[in-house]
Amino acid sequence: MSDLMSRLKSKRRYLIELGVCLALYVLAIRLSMLLLNDGIATGIGKPIAALIPMVPGSGMCWVIVRQFHRMDELQRRIQFEALGFAFAGTAIVTFSYGFLETVGFAKVSMFFVWGVMAVLWSLGMAVATRRYR
Amino acid sequence: MNNTIRALRTARGLSQEALGSALNVSRQTINAIEAGRYDPSLPLAFKLARFFALHIEDVFDDGEEKLGS
Repeated sequence: MSDLMSRLKSKRRYLIELGVCLALYVLAIRLSMLLLNDGIATGIGKPIAALIPMVPGSGMCWVIVRQFHRMDELQRRIQFEALGFAFAGTAIVTFSYGFLETVGFAKVSMFFVWGVMAVLWSLGMAVATRRYR
Repeated sequence: MNNTIRALRTARGLSQEALGSALNVSRQTINAIEAGRYDPSLPLAFKLARFFALHIEDVFDDGEEKLGS
């Protein structure tokens, strides 16, 4: 089997695994909202119900780690540089905004942290990929 | 680090894709090594040298003088 075919197969498997986790994540959010909004979950059950989506969320982490293990050394280097950039950039952005909140800027949900990191990861990927092209 | 991979590969009529496939790395990795933009790990450098049936120092040159010379 050619290298290209093997890589396409690996990419397809990654997308399928990620897609399954994403579908389960959407279902878990619906279940979580049902339990919380209809008052089915009470007391200690509330935080447990709120965290249900993180079960498939953890599955996504597992899928991404599996994909990292399939990469060759240059692809891992690119990911390492991109993640390092995203890690440091997210620290700067979130800490900066945290300080701005102390002078009256609107409180922002923790959900935005991952959004910032994802954007910086993509940016870091583009820069690192271009460097080794 | 300088290397002679492009010359060795083309002399054997191999594409970057074919060489990458033989060594289980991507075409992009072979291209980056040939262009000197990426220095491979020691295991990959040995695999490359073995593929061409050469010693590692015949394929890679770090530009340093040999010790004792």
